Amino acid sequence: MTGAIVAAKALSKWYGEVIGLNSFDLELHEGITGFVGPNGSGKSTFFKLVSGLIRPSVGQIRVLGEDPWANQPLMARLGFCPDYDNLSDEQTFRSFLAFVGGLHGMRGPTMGSRIEEVARIVGMGEHIDRRIGGYSKGMRQRTKIAGAMLHEPELLLLDEPLSGTDPLGRREIIALVQSLHAEHGHNVIVSSHVLHEIERLTPQVAVLYKGRAIATGNIQEIRGLIDKHPHNILVESDRLDELAKRLVGLPCVVSMQFSPDRTGLTVQVTRPEEFFAAMPGLVEAVGCRVRRMLSLDDDLESVFRYLVG
Amino acid sequence: MYTFRKLLFSRRIFITLLIALFVGGVMAYATTQEMDTLAGGTDMLDNIVLSFFMPVMAMIYGSSLVRDEIDDRSITQVVASPMDRMVTYAGYYLGLAASVCAAILLVLTTGFLVFFGALGFGAGSGHVYGSMVALVVIGSFAYSALFILVSVLISHPVYFGLLYAFIWEGYIGSIPGNIRLLAVKHYVRSLGAHWIDVGAISRYNASTPGDAATVLAVLTVGLLVVGALVFRRKEFP
Repeated sequence: MTGAIVAAKALSKWYGEVIGLNSFDLELHEGITGFVGPNGSGKSTFFKLVSGLIRPSVGQIRVLGEDPWANQPLMARLGFCPDYDNLSDEQTFRSFLAFVGGLHGMRGPTMGSRIEEVARIVGMGEHIDRRIGGYSKGMRQRTKIAGAMLHEPELLLLDEPLSGTDPLGRREIIALVQSLHAEHGHNVIVSSHVLHEIERLTPQVAVLYKGRAIATGNIQEIRGLIDKHPHNILVESDRLDELAKRLVGLPCVVSMQFSPDRTGLTVQVTRPEEFFAAMPGLVEAVGCRVRRMLSLDDDLESVFRYLVG
Repeated sequence: MYTFRKLLFSRRIFITLLIALFVGGVMAYATTQEMDTLAGGTDMLDNIVLSFFMPVMAMIYGSSLVRDEIDDRSITQVVASPMDRMVTYAGYYLGLAASVCAAILLVLTTGFLVFFGALGFGAGSGHVYGSMVALVVIGSFAYSALFILVSVLISHPVYFGLLYAFIWEGYIGSIPGNIRLLAVKHYVRSLGAHWIDVGAISRYNASTPGDAATVLAVLTVGLLVVGALVFRRKEFP
Protein backbone atom coordinates (compact mmCIF):
# COMPACT_ATOMS: atom_id res chain seq x y z
CA MET A 1 0.00 0.00 0.00
CA THR A 2 2.99 2.31 -0.48
CA GLY A 3 2.90 5.36 -2.74
CA ALA A 4 -0.87 5.46 -2.86
CA ILE A 5 -2.77 8.49 -1.58
CA VAL A 6 -5.63 6.19 -0.62
CA ALA A 7 -5.32 2.46 -0.13
CA ALA A 8 -8.03 0.09 1.03
CA LYS A 9 -7.52 -3.56 1.79
CA ALA A 10 -10.35 -6.01 2.44
CA LEU A 11 -12.35 -2.99 3.57
CA SER A 12 -15.95 -3.64 4.60
CA LYS A 13 -18.57 -1.46 6.18
CA TRP A 14 -21.96 -2.62 7.36
CA TYR A 15 -24.83 -0.49 8.60
CA GLY A 16 -26.62 -3.08 10.68
CA GLU A 17 -27.57 -5.69 8.12
CA VAL A 18 -27.04 -3.39 5.15
CA ILE A 19 -23.69 -3.66 3.39
CA GLY A 20 -22.07 -0.35 2.45
CA LEU A 21 -18.75 -1.72 1.24
CA ASN A 22 -17.90 -5.37 0.83
CA SER A 23 -14.30 -6.61 0.95
CA PHE A 24 -13.17 -3.57 -0.98
CA ASP A 25 -9.63 -3.44 -2.36
CA LEU A 26 -8.33 -0.31 -4.02
CA GLU A 27 -5.25 1.86 -4.49
CA LEU A 28 -5.56 5.44 -5.71
CA HIS A 29 -2.63 7.54 -6.83
CA GLU A 30 -2.08 11.25 -7.39
CA GLY A 31 -4.22 13.20 -9.84
CA ILE A 32 -7.97 13.11 -10.40
CA THR A 33 -9.70 9.79 -9.84
CA GLY A 34 -13.33 9.31 -10.77
CA PHE A 35 -15.60 7.05 -8.76
CA VAL A 36 -18.53 5.87 -10.77
CA GLY A 37 -21.35 3.62 -9.71
CA PRO A 38 -25.12 3.55 -9.33
CA ASN A 39 -26.87 4.75 -6.19
CA GLY A 40 -26.14 2.39 -3.33
CA SER A 41 -22.89 1.14 -4.84
CA GLY A 42 -20.84 2.36 -1.87
CA LYS A 43 -19.38 5.62 -3.20
CA SER A 44 -20.54 7.76 -0.30
CA THR A 45 -19.60 5.09 2.23
CA PHE A 46 -16.09 5.10 0.80
CA PHE A 47 -15.87 8.91 1.02
CA LYS A 48 -17.03 8.85 4.64
CA LEU A 49 -14.45 6.19 5.48
CA VAL A 50 -11.72 8.26 3.82
CA SER A 51 -12.76 11.39 5.72
CA GLY A 52 -12.99 9.58 9.05
CA LEU A 53 -16.71 10.17 9.55
CA ILE A 54 -17.27 6.44 9.96
CA ARG A 55 -14.97 3.58 10.86
CA PRO A 56 -14.45 0.32 8.97
CA SER A 57 -16.28 -2.76 10.18
CA VAL A 58 -13.48 -4.96 8.82
CA GLY A 59 -10.27 -4.33 6.90
CA GLN A 60 -8.10 -1.28 6.72
CA ILE A 61 -7.86 2.01 4.93
CA ARG A 62 -4.91 4.39 4.71
CA VAL A 63 -5.25 7.95 3.55
CA LEU A 64 -2.05 9.88 2.81
CA GLY A 65 -0.32 7.11 4.73
CA GLU A 66 -2.47 7.36 7.86
CA ASP A 67 -5.54 5.73 9.36
CA PRO A 68 -8.32 8.33 9.04
CA TRP A 69 -10.54 7.11 11.88
CA ALA A 70 -10.39 9.39 14.96
CA ASN A 71 -7.43 11.13 13.33
CA GLN A 72 -8.39 14.79 13.47
CA PRO A 73 -4.92 16.15 12.53
CA LEU A 74 -5.24 14.27 9.20
CA MET A 75 -8.38 16.29 8.45
CA ALA A 76 -6.18 19.36 7.89
CA ARG A 77 -4.84 17.55 4.80
CA LEU A 78 -8.28 16.55 3.48
CA GLY A 79 -11.18 18.54 2.11
CA PHE A 80 -14.55 16.82 2.02
CA CYS A 81 -17.50 18.00 -0.07
CA PRO A 82 -20.42 15.69 0.79
CA ASP A 83 -23.13 14.59 -1.64
CA TYR A 84 -25.85 16.13 0.54
CA ASP A 85 -26.65 19.82 0.84
CA ASN A 86 -25.90 20.85 4.39
CA LEU A 87 -25.62 24.58 3.78
CA SER A 88 -27.62 27.04 5.85
CA ASP A 89 -29.85 29.29 3.73
CA GLU A 90 -29.26 32.13 6.19
CA GLN A 91 -25.51 32.26 5.67
CA THR A 92 -23.61 33.94 2.85
CA PHE A 93 -20.73 32.42 0.92
CA ARG A 94 -18.35 34.56 2.97
CA SER A 95 -19.82 33.72 6.38
CA PHE A 96 -19.97 30.00 5.55
CA LEU A 97 -16.33 29.99 4.53
CA ALA A 98 -15.37 32.07 7.57
CA PHE A 99 -17.05 29.41 9.73
CA VAL A 100 -15.20 26.59 7.93
CA GLY A 101 -11.95 28.56 8.06
CA GLY A 102 -12.36 29.03 11.80
CA LEU A 103 -12.68 25.27 12.22
CA HIS A 104 -9.36 24.93 10.40
CA GLY A 105 -7.67 27.48 12.62
CA MET A 106 -7.70 30.27 10.04
CA ARG A 107 -8.12 33.81 11.35
CA GLY A 108 -8.12 37.48 10.42
CA PRO A 109 -6.90 39.05 7.16
CA THR A 110 -5.19 35.85 5.99
CA MET A 111 -8.52 34.04 6.08
CA GLY A 112 -10.32 37.01 4.53
CA SER A 113 -8.00 37.13 1.53
CA ARG A 114 -8.10 33.35 1.14
CA ILE A 115 -11.92 33.45 1.08
CA GLU A 116 -11.78 36.08 -1.67
CA GLU A 117 -9.28 33.97 -3.58
CA VAL A 118 -11.37 30.79 -3.27
CA ALA A 119 -14.49 32.71 -4.30
CA ARG A 120 -12.68 33.72 -7.50
CA ILE A 121 -11.45 30.18 -8.13
CA VAL A 122 -14.93 28.66 -7.86
CA GLY A 123 -16.52 31.53 -9.77
CA MET A 124 -18.50 32.94 -6.85
CA GLY A 125 -16.75 36.30 -6.56
CA GLU A 126 -19.87 38.26 -7.48
CA HIS A 127 -22.08 36.37 -5.06
CA ILE A 128 -19.79 36.32 -2.05
CA ASP A 129 -22.12 38.37 0.17
CA ARG A 130 -25.43 37.02 -1.09
CA ARG A 131 -27.53 34.71 1.06
CA ILE A 132 -27.05 31.05 0.18
CA GLY A 133 -30.82 30.65 0.25
CA GLY A 134 -30.97 32.50 -3.08
CA TYR A 135 -28.32 30.36 -4.79
CA SER A 136 -28.95 27.94 -7.65
CA LYS A 137 -28.05 24.28 -7.20
CA GLY A 138 -24.81 24.80 -9.13
CA MET A 139 -23.84 27.75 -6.92
CA ARG A 140 -24.54 25.71 -3.81
CA GLN A 141 -22.32 22.93 -5.15
CA ARG A 142 -19.55 25.42 -5.82
CA THR A 143 -19.96 26.83 -2.32
CA LYS A 144 -19.55 23.33 -0.89
CA ILE A 145 -16.46 22.76 -3.04
CA ALA A 146 -15.09 26.11 -1.82
CA GLY A 147 -15.60 24.99 1.78
CA ALA A 148 -13.68 21.80 1.06
CA MET A 149 -10.71 23.53 -0.59
CA LEU A 150 -10.45 26.64 1.60
CA HIS A 151 -7.63 25.28 3.76
CA GLU A 152 -5.64 24.07 0.74
CA PRO A 153 -5.86 20.34 1.43
CA GLU A 154 -3.67 17.80 -0.31
CA LEU A 155 -6.65 15.63 -1.14
CA LEU A 156 -10.11 16.82 -2.14
CA LEU A 157 -13.05 14.45 -1.82
CA LEU A 158 -15.97 15.56 -3.98
CA ASP A 159 -18.99 13.31 -3.60
CA GLU A 160 -21.45 13.79 -6.49
CA PRO A 161 -20.56 17.46 -7.11
CA LEU A 162 -22.50 17.42 -10.40
CA SER A 163 -25.69 16.08 -8.88
CA GLY A 164 -28.76 18.20 -9.59
CA THR A 165 -26.93 20.79 -11.67
CA ASP A 166 -28.06 21.94 -15.13
CA PRO A 167 -25.85 21.25 -18.20
CA LEU A 168 -24.15 24.64 -17.99
CA GLY A 169 -23.48 24.28 -14.26
CA ARG A 170 -22.17 20.78 -14.89
CA ARG A 171 -19.74 22.03 -17.51
CA GLU A 172 -18.50 24.75 -15.17
CA ILE A 173 -17.99 22.38 -12.27
CA ILE A 174 -16.15 19.89 -14.50
CA ALA A 175 -13.81 22.69 -15.62
CA LEU A 176 -13.40 23.77 -11.99
CA VAL A 177 -12.48 20.27 -10.79
CA GLN A 178 -9.95 19.91 -13.61
CA SER A 179 -8.39 23.26 -12.70
CA LEU A 180 -8.23 22.31 -9.02
CA HIS A 181 -5.73 19.65 -10.00
CA ALA A 182 -4.02 21.25 -12.99
CA GLU A 183 -3.63 24.78 -11.59
CA HIS A 184 -3.89 24.40 -7.84
CA GLY A 185 -2.24 21.03 -7.35
CA HIS A 186 -5.00 19.29 -5.41
CA ASN A 187 -5.40 15.55 -5.73
CA VAL A 188 -9.10 14.92 -6.28
CA ILE A 189 -11.38 11.96 -5.85
CA VAL A 190 -14.71 12.75 -7.45
CA SER A 191 -17.79 10.58 -7.74
CA SER A 192 -20.78 10.43 -10.04
CA HIS A 193 -23.35 7.89 -11.08
CA VAL A 194 -23.04 9.05 -14.68
CA LEU A 195 -20.11 7.55 -16.53
CA HIS A 196 -20.03 10.19 -19.27
CA GLU A 197 -19.55 12.93 -16.68
CA ILE A 198 -16.63 11.17 -15.04
CA GLU A 199 -15.17 10.47 -18.43
CA ARG A 200 -15.04 14.21 -19.12
CA LEU A 201 -13.26 14.78 -15.81
CA THR A 202 -10.54 12.18 -15.80
CA PRO A 203 -9.34 9.07 -17.57
CA GLN A 204 -8.58 7.42 -14.23
CA VAL A 205 -11.67 5.74 -12.80
CA ALA A 206 -12.87 3.18 -10.31
CA VAL A 207 -16.17 1.51 -11.05
CA LEU A 208 -18.18 0.52 -7.98
CA TYR A 209 -21.10 -1.85 -7.84
CA LYS A 210 -22.84 -3.27 -4.80
CA GLY A 211 -20.00 -2.29 -2.45
CA ARG A 212 -17.16 -3.61 -4.57
CA ALA A 213 -14.65 -2.04 -6.92
CA ILE A 214 -15.42 -4.08 -10.04
CA ALA A 215 -13.02 -2.25 -12.35
CA THR A 216 -10.24 0.28 -11.82
CA GLY A 217 -7.82 1.93 -14.19
CA ASN A 218 -7.94 3.85 -17.42
CA ILE A 219 -11.43 4.56 -18.64
CA GLN A 220 -10.59 3.54 -22.19
CA GLU A 221 -9.92 0.00 -21.03
CA ILE A 222 -13.12 -0.06 -19.01
CA ARG A 223 -15.09 1.50 -21.81
CA GLY A 224 -13.73 -1.18 -24.11
CA LEU A 225 -15.43 -3.72 -21.89
CA ILE A 226 -18.62 -1.68 -21.66
CA ASP A 227 -18.81 -0.94 -25.39
CA LYS A 228 -19.16 -4.62 -26.19
CA HIS A 229 -22.54 -4.29 -24.53
CA PRO A 230 -25.06 -2.20 -26.51
CA HIS A 231 -26.54 0.87 -24.83
CA ASN A 232 -30.17 1.86 -25.09
CA ILE A 233 -30.88 5.50 -25.90
CA LEU A 234 -34.39 6.92 -26.05
CA VAL A 235 -35.10 9.72 -28.53
CA GLU A 236 -38.42 11.58 -28.48
CA SER A 237 -38.96 13.88 -31.42
CA ASP A 238 -41.15 14.76 -34.36
CA ARG A 239 -40.26 13.37 -37.80
CA LEU A 240 -38.94 10.21 -36.16
CA ASP A 241 -39.28 8.07 -39.32
CA GLU A 242 -36.93 10.33 -41.21
CA LEU A 243 -34.51 10.52 -38.27
CA ALA A 244 -34.53 6.72 -38.01
CA LYS A 245 -33.56 6.40 -41.68
CA ARG A 246 -30.52 8.57 -41.05
CA LEU A 247 -29.62 6.77 -37.85
CA VAL A 248 -29.45 3.43 -39.66
CA GLY A 249 -26.40 4.76 -41.45
CA LEU A 250 -24.40 5.21 -38.25
CA PRO A 251 -21.94 2.35 -37.71
CA CYS A 252 -22.53 2.43 -33.93
CA VAL A 253 -26.28 1.79 -34.22
CA VAL A 254 -27.18 -1.86 -33.70
CA SER A 255 -30.97 -1.72 -33.76
CA MET A 256 -33.95 0.59 -33.32
CA GLN A 257 -37.46 0.17 -31.94
CA PHE A 258 -40.38 2.61 -32.12
CA SER A 259 -42.65 3.05 -29.13
CA PRO A 260 -46.26 1.84 -29.71
CA ASP A 261 -47.49 5.43 -30.21
CA ARG A 262 -44.47 6.19 -32.46
CA THR A 263 -43.49 9.28 -30.43
CA GLY A 264 -40.29 7.67 -29.15
CA LEU A 265 -37.47 5.66 -30.63
CA THR A 266 -35.20 3.39 -28.61
CA VAL A 267 -31.83 3.09 -30.32
CA GLN A 268 -29.33 0.39 -29.39
CA VAL A 269 -25.79 1.65 -29.89
CA THR A 270 -22.36 0.19 -29.25
CA ARG A 271 -20.50 3.48 -28.74
CA PRO A 272 -22.74 6.10 -27.14
CA GLU A 273 -20.22 8.93 -27.45
CA GLU A 274 -20.14 8.40 -31.23
CA PHE A 275 -23.94 8.45 -31.32
CA PHE A 276 -24.19 11.62 -29.24
CA ALA A 277 -21.54 13.32 -31.38
CA ALA A 278 -23.44 12.53 -34.58
CA MET A 279 -26.91 13.50 -33.33
CA PRO A 280 -26.72 17.32 -33.64
CA GLY A 281 -25.78 17.02 -37.33
CA LEU A 282 -28.56 14.51 -38.01
CA VAL A 283 -31.15 16.61 -36.20
CA GLU A 284 -30.14 19.64 -38.22
CA ALA A 285 -30.22 17.68 -41.48
CA VAL A 286 -33.68 16.26 -40.79
CA GLY A 287 -34.97 19.51 -39.31
CA CYS A 288 -36.75 17.79 -36.45
CA ARG A 289 -37.27 19.07 -32.93
CA VAL A 290 -35.97 16.67 -30.27
CA ARG A 291 -38.11 16.85 -27.13
CA ARG A 292 -36.07 14.44 -25.10
CA MET A 293 -32.99 12.28 -25.50
CA LEU A 294 -31.59 10.16 -22.74
CA SER A 295 -29.47 7.12 -22.21
CA LEU A 296 -31.58 4.46 -20.57
CA ASP A 297 -28.34 3.01 -19.27
CA ASP A 298 -27.21 6.23 -17.60
CA ASP A 299 -28.13 4.84 -14.24
CA LEU A 300 -25.46 2.33 -15.21
CA GLU A 301 -27.34 -0.55 -13.64
CA SER A 302 -27.40 -2.47 -16.92
CA VAL A 303 -23.76 -1.69 -17.62
CA PHE A 304 -22.71 -2.78 -14.18
CA ARG A 305 -24.73 -5.94 -14.46
CA TYR A 306 -22.87 -6.56 -17.68
CA LEU A 307 -19.47 -5.87 -16.10
CA VAL A 308 -20.10 -8.23 -13.22
CA GLY A 309 -21.34 -10.86 -15.61
CA MET B 1 -19.79 31.89 19.92
CA TYR B 2 -21.32 30.36 16.78
CA THR B 3 -23.40 27.94 18.88
CA PHE B 4 -24.47 30.76 21.18
CA ARG B 5 -25.63 32.92 18.26
CA LYS B 6 -27.26 29.99 16.52
CA LEU B 7 -29.21 28.97 19.60
CA LEU B 8 -30.16 32.37 20.86
CA PHE B 9 -31.04 34.01 17.57
CA SER B 10 -33.22 31.27 16.16
CA ARG B 11 -36.87 30.23 16.44
CA ARG B 12 -36.11 29.28 20.03
CA ILE B 13 -35.93 32.95 20.90
CA PHE B 14 -39.67 33.17 20.25
CA ILE B 15 -40.28 30.30 22.68
CA THR B 16 -38.12 32.10 25.23
CA LEU B 17 -40.02 35.36 24.70
CA LEU B 18 -43.35 33.54 25.05
CA ILE B 19 -42.19 31.92 28.28
CA ALA B 20 -40.99 35.31 29.56
CA LEU B 21 -44.36 36.83 28.68
CA PHE B 22 -46.16 33.96 30.40
CA VAL B 23 -44.05 34.31 33.55
CA GLY B 24 -44.56 38.08 33.46
CA GLY B 25 -48.32 37.51 33.24
CA VAL B 26 -48.34 35.04 36.12
CA MET B 27 -46.24 37.36 38.26
CA ALA B 28 -48.54 40.28 37.39
CA TYR B 29 -51.52 38.21 38.51
CA ALA B 30 -49.66 37.32 41.72
CA THR B 31 -49.31 41.02 42.56
CA THR B 32 -53.10 41.18 42.88
CA GLN B 33 -53.12 38.51 45.61
CA GLU B 34 -52.56 39.12 49.28
CA MET B 35 -49.16 37.84 50.38
CA ASP B 36 -45.91 38.85 52.00
CA THR B 37 -44.18 40.63 49.14
CA LEU B 38 -40.63 39.37 49.60
CA ALA B 39 -41.49 35.79 50.62
CA GLY B 40 -44.31 35.53 48.09
CA GLY B 41 -42.20 36.86 45.22
CA THR B 42 -39.32 34.57 46.15
CA ASP B 43 -41.63 31.52 46.24
CA MET B 44 -43.10 32.41 42.87
CA LEU B 45 -39.68 32.76 41.22
CA ASP B 46 -38.50 29.57 42.95
CA ASN B 47 -41.49 27.52 41.75
CA ILE B 48 -41.88 28.94 38.27
CA VAL B 49 -38.32 29.68 37.19
CA LEU B 50 -35.94 27.54 39.23
CA SER B 51 -38.04 24.41 39.64
CA PHE B 52 -40.01 24.37 36.41
CA PHE B 53 -38.74 26.49 33.53
CA MET B 54 -35.01 26.03 34.17
CA PRO B 55 -35.00 22.27 33.36
CA VAL B 56 -37.64 22.73 30.66
CA MET B 57 -35.72 25.48 28.86
CA ALA B 58 -32.43 23.62 29.20
CA MET B 59 -34.23 20.68 27.61
CA ILE B 60 -35.61 22.84 24.77
CA TYR B 61 -32.19 24.25 23.96
CA GLY B 62 -29.96 21.34 24.86
CA SER B 63 -31.73 18.27 23.58
CA SER B 64 -31.79 19.57 20.02
CA LEU B 65 -28.44 21.32 19.66
CA VAL B 66 -26.09 18.59 18.44
CA ARG B 67 -28.95 16.35 17.30
CA ASP B 68 -30.25 19.04 14.93
CA GLU B 69 -26.80 19.36 13.38
CA ILE B 70 -26.49 15.58 13.10
CA ASP B 71 -29.94 15.36 11.49
CA ASP B 72 -29.43 18.19 8.98
CA ARG B 73 -25.80 17.04 8.54
CA SER B 74 -24.38 20.50 9.05
CA ILE B 75 -22.14 18.81 11.63
CA THR B 76 -20.08 17.35 8.77
CA GLN B 77 -17.89 20.45 8.46
CA VAL B 78 -17.27 20.39 12.21
CA VAL B 79 -16.33 16.73 12.59
CA ALA B 80 -14.34 16.70 9.34
CA SER B 81 -12.13 19.52 10.61
CA PRO B 82 -8.78 19.05 12.38
CA MET B 83 -10.20 20.35 15.65
CA ASP B 84 -10.11 17.71 18.39
CA ARG B 85 -13.64 16.46 18.82
CA MET B 86 -13.44 16.75 22.61
CA VAL B 87 -12.62 20.45 22.19
CA THR B 88 -15.49 20.75 19.71
CA TYR B 89 -17.83 19.17 22.23
CA ALA B 90 -16.65 21.55 24.94
CA GLY B 91 -17.34 24.43 22.54
CA TYR B 92 -20.87 23.19 21.93
CA TYR B 93 -21.37 22.83 25.67
CA LEU B 94 -20.16 26.32 26.54
CA GLY B 95 -22.33 27.84 23.81
CA LEU B 96 -25.32 25.86 25.01
CA ALA B 97 -24.80 26.69 28.70
CA ALA B 98 -24.40 30.40 27.88
CA SER B 99 -27.56 30.35 25.74
CA VAL B 100 -29.61 28.48 28.35
CA CYS B 101 -28.31 30.84 31.02
CA ALA B 102 -29.18 33.96 28.98
CA ALA B 103 -32.65 32.64 28.15
CA ILE B 104 -33.51 31.71 31.74
CA LEU B 105 -32.10 34.97 33.06
CA LEU B 106 -34.40 36.80 30.68
CA VAL B 107 -37.38 34.90 32.11
CA LEU B 108 -36.20 35.36 35.70
CA THR B 109 -35.58 39.07 35.23
CA THR B 110 -38.98 39.59 33.58
CA GLY B 111 -40.74 37.87 36.47
CA PHE B 112 -38.70 39.75 39.05
CA LEU B 113 -39.23 43.17 37.47
CA VAL B 114 -42.97 42.65 36.96
CA PHE B 115 -43.59 41.47 40.54
CA PHE B 116 -41.27 43.66 42.55
CA GLY B 117 -41.67 46.57 40.16
CA ALA B 118 -45.39 46.58 40.92
CA LEU B 119 -45.16 45.97 44.65
CA GLY B 120 -41.91 47.82 45.38
CA PHE B 121 -38.39 46.45 45.39
CA GLY B 122 -37.87 47.06 49.09
CA ALA B 123 -35.06 45.65 51.20
CA GLY B 124 -33.99 42.11 50.41
CA SER B 125 -35.38 41.79 46.87
CA GLY B 126 -32.01 42.64 45.34
CA HIS B 127 -30.35 39.90 47.38
CA VAL B 128 -33.02 37.39 46.33
CA TYR B 129 -32.54 38.34 42.68
CA GLY B 130 -28.73 38.10 42.90
CA SER B 131 -28.97 34.68 44.55
CA MET B 132 -31.44 33.46 41.95
CA VAL B 133 -29.11 34.65 39.17
CA ALA B 134 -26.28 32.62 40.70
CA LEU B 135 -28.54 29.55 40.98
CA VAL B 136 -29.65 29.96 37.37
CA VAL B 137 -26.02 30.11 36.20
CA ILE B 138 -25.11 26.98 38.19
CA GLY B 139 -28.26 25.13 37.15
CA SER B 140 -27.81 26.07 33.49
CA PHE B 141 -24.33 24.58 33.38
CA ALA B 142 -25.50 21.37 35.12
CA TYR B 143 -28.62 20.85 32.99
CA SER B 144 -26.75 21.72 29.80
CA ALA B 145 -24.16 19.02 30.52
CA LEU B 146 -27.01 16.51 30.86
CA PHE B 147 -29.06 17.51 27.84
CA ILE B 148 -26.14 17.88 25.42
CA LEU B 149 -25.08 14.32 26.30
CA VAL B 150 -28.63 13.14 25.68
CA SER B 151 -28.67 14.86 22.29
CA VAL B 152 -25.49 13.03 21.26
CA LEU B 153 -26.66 9.64 22.56
CA ILE B 154 -30.31 9.50 21.54
CA SER B 155 -31.94 9.91 18.13
CA HIS B 156 -35.05 11.61 19.50
CA PRO B 157 -33.73 13.45 22.56
CA VAL B 158 -36.80 15.66 22.91
CA TYR B 159 -38.92 12.73 24.12
CA PHE B 160 -36.34 11.83 26.75
CA GLY B 161 -35.98 15.51 27.61
CA LEU B 162 -39.71 15.94 28.08
CA LEU B 163 -39.90 12.89 30.32
CA TYR B 164 -36.90 14.01 32.31
CA ALA B 165 -37.89 17.65 32.69
CA PHE B 166 -41.53 17.02 33.56
CA ILE B 167 -41.57 13.60 35.23
CA TRP B 168 -38.14 13.29 36.79
CA GLU B 169 -37.32 16.84 37.80
CA GLY B 170 -40.91 17.96 38.19
CA TYR B 171 -42.30 14.95 40.01
CA ILE B 172 -39.52 12.77 41.42
CA GLY B 173 -37.57 15.85 42.48
CA SER B 174 -40.53 17.03 44.52
CA ILE B 175 -41.22 13.78 46.42
CA PRO B 176 -40.15 14.00 50.06
CA GLY B 177 -37.39 11.61 51.12
CA ASN B 178 -34.07 10.57 49.67
CA ILE B 179 -35.41 9.92 46.18
CA ARG B 180 -35.25 13.64 45.47
CA LEU B 181 -31.47 13.35 45.79
CA LEU B 182 -31.62 11.96 42.26
CA ALA B 183 -32.81 15.25 40.77
CA VAL B 184 -30.54 18.17 39.81
CA LYS B 185 -33.18 20.55 41.14
CA HIS B 186 -32.60 19.24 44.65
CA TYR B 187 -28.96 20.36 44.72
CA VAL B 188 -29.66 23.73 43.12
CA ARG B 189 -32.34 24.45 45.70
CA SER B 190 -30.10 23.15 48.52
CA LEU B 191 -27.54 25.76 47.53
CA GLY B 192 -30.29 28.36 47.38
CA ALA B 193 -31.37 27.48 50.92
CA HIS B 194 -28.07 28.79 52.22
CA TRP B 195 -28.10 31.97 50.15
CA ILE B 196 -31.73 33.04 50.45
CA ASP B 197 -33.31 33.61 53.84
CA VAL B 198 -36.96 34.07 52.88
CA GLY B 199 -39.63 31.86 51.40
CA ALA B 200 -39.85 28.07 51.10
CA ILE B 201 -36.40 27.74 49.52
CA SER B 202 -34.80 29.05 52.73
CA ARG B 203 -36.23 26.05 54.61
CA TYR B 204 -35.04 23.53 52.00
CA ASN B 205 -32.13 21.95 53.80
CA ALA B 206 -31.84 18.33 52.63
CA SER B 207 -28.18 18.70 51.64
CA THR B 208 -25.39 20.86 52.99
CA PRO B 209 -24.12 23.56 50.61
CA GLY B 210 -20.78 21.77 50.43
CA ASP B 211 -22.41 18.48 49.45
CA ALA B 212 -24.71 20.21 46.95
CA ALA B 213 -21.85 22.11 45.32
CA THR B 214 -19.71 18.96 45.17
CA VAL B 215 -22.49 16.87 43.64
CA LEU B 216 -23.29 19.54 41.06
CA ALA B 217 -19.63 19.97 40.14
CA VAL B 218 -18.97 16.22 39.88
CA LEU B 219 -22.19 15.67 37.94
CA THR B 220 -21.47 18.51 35.49
CA VAL B 221 -17.85 17.56 34.88
CA GLY B 222 -18.68 13.84 34.78
CA LEU B 223 -21.44 14.30 32.21
CA LEU B 224 -19.20 16.58 30.19
CA VAL B 225 -16.32 14.10 30.09
CA VAL B 226 -18.60 11.17 29.21
CA GLY B 227 -20.26 13.25 26.50
CA ALA B 228 -16.92 14.34 25.03
CA LEU B 229 -15.67 10.74 24.93
CA VAL B 230 -18.88 9.55 23.27
CA PHE B 231 -18.69 12.39 20.74
CA ARG B 232 -15.06 11.62 19.95
CA ARG B 233 -15.88 8.02 19.00
CA LYS B 234 -19.21 8.74 17.35
CA GLU B 235 -19.75 7.84 13.70
CA PHE B 236 -21.55 10.27 11.40
CA PRO B 237 -22.89 8.19 8.51
